[in-house]
Amino acid sequence: MNMIEVRNITYVYPGEGKPVLKDLSFCVEKGGCLIVKGDNGAGKTTLFRVLNGLAFPVKGQYFFDGTEITEKWLGVSRNSKLFHKKIGYLFQNPDTMLFCGTVYDEVAFGPRQMGLSDDETDRRTRDCMELFGITDLASKAPYHLSGGQKKRTALAAVTALNPEVLVLDEPFAGLDRKSKELLKEFLKEYHEAGKTLIAAVHDENQCELPAGEVLELQVV
Amino acid sequence: MIPEWMTLTDSRELPEGSSAFAVRTIKSVSAAVGKLRFQQGHEKKYAVPALVKLILLVLFIVFLSLNRSVLIMMAYTAVLLLYLSTWPPADILRILKGCLGVSLLTFVLLVPAMLMNPDGVQSQILLVWKVFLSILMVSIFNHTTQWNHITAALRKLHVPGIFVFTIDITMKYTVALGRFISDLMTSYLIRAVGKDDRRYQSLGGVAGVTFIRGTQMNREMYEAMRCRGFTDDYRGL
Repeated sequence: MNMIEVRNITYVYPGEGKPVLKDLSFCVEKGGCLIVKGDNGAGKTTLFRVLNGLAFPVKGQYFFDGTEITEKWLGVSRNSKLFHKKIGYLFQNPDTMLFCGTVYDEVAFGPRQMGLSDDETDRRTRDCMELFGITDLASKAPYHLSGGQKKRTALAAVTALNPEVLVLDEPFAGLDRKSKELLKEFLKEYHEAGKTLIAAVHDENQCELPAGEVLELQVV
Repeated sequence: MIPEWMTLTDSRELPEGSSAFAVRTIKSVSAAVGKLRFQQGHEKKYAVPALVKLILLVLFIVFLSLNRSVLIMMAYTAVLLLYLSTWPPADILRILKGCLGVSLLTFVLLVPAMLMNPDGVQSQILLVWKVFLSILMVSIFNHTTQWNHITAALRKLHVPGIFVFTIDITMKYTVALGRFISDLMTSYLIRAVGKDDRRYQSLGGVAGVTFIRGTQMNREMYEAMRCRGFTDDYRGL
């Protein structure tokens, strides 16, 4: 069964005449892995914004777990929350993902939103911090961290929601060798647990991801 | 090794909560940033150059402020409204809303003067009218001219470099910080999947991080300028 199905979507930024994505179609099965490649400006981030319901194509359809994702459908708060619970998105720039006072609060934000008990929230938060090697940073302010630490904090914050689909925009960019290994191991296990992965990477990092379909975007 | 809960599917009911404020903030910030970023409005490919428009604007405003003839004022109003009527309704509404708002404020400020000196009511009304027309002209100019064309025109008029540079940088960083806020709120929105009991704390976080980012960008730009030979002397800008 398809987790994600994109049919002939075209996306044009408001105020610009030229489309960034044109007649794009692809499917990702439940538990599958899609690697998105393409030059700068090919529309990788735009595609990810569409997949996360943050931008809406001017033409074509996008189905998530059998439901067509439209602006109207996502306009209903309940639908929007359910959708965002199922799909996690790591931005290319982790700076724009961190808004809490401490790393612990940042990671705990999602579980608290889900209405988990304090004990369960604490357990999830500590699990995620341990997974990405940021336990010792728990009481630090996110804006004091280095680029790689910010990325790992953002990853921990996203995975704390335990999404079914993880969309990662250049997850390996800015990470050192040790952090890359950590992330590679995590993605392998996450994928083996039956979760769906979609990631934008450059050629040199493709081998770090579990084997999957490759979608090559071209600059329109 | 990933924890066990991560291998399972979460199917629990999410608590009800509203994040309408985040959606509204994203929409309004994105609209404002988009307006600045793609500011083309009604600028046509073969439009009057910004320099000419800027000189005409200044001359018209000076003439308007010196004028005391109601007839000329009416002619001004007719021409401007006629021109505005060729625009899409949404743009007309936006511009008139701004103009009327400022005019109303001017009127309110002048009410005590009108009450204390009833003989001068006519000239006070004329003043409110002049304010309306001036704002209307500036709004039309702003809506039909891109920011970079305006600053280029200011340079051609030999406006001091530091002044033009400040406007340029202000615009650039307004767009950059606006996009940063929009992204931050988007990130909040996609992770706010339930009820946020600490909503104001989160919003405070967004404001704080934006302030820190603004300071950082300011420092980084200054350092970049120093690396390129800037010595706190604005010559050559």
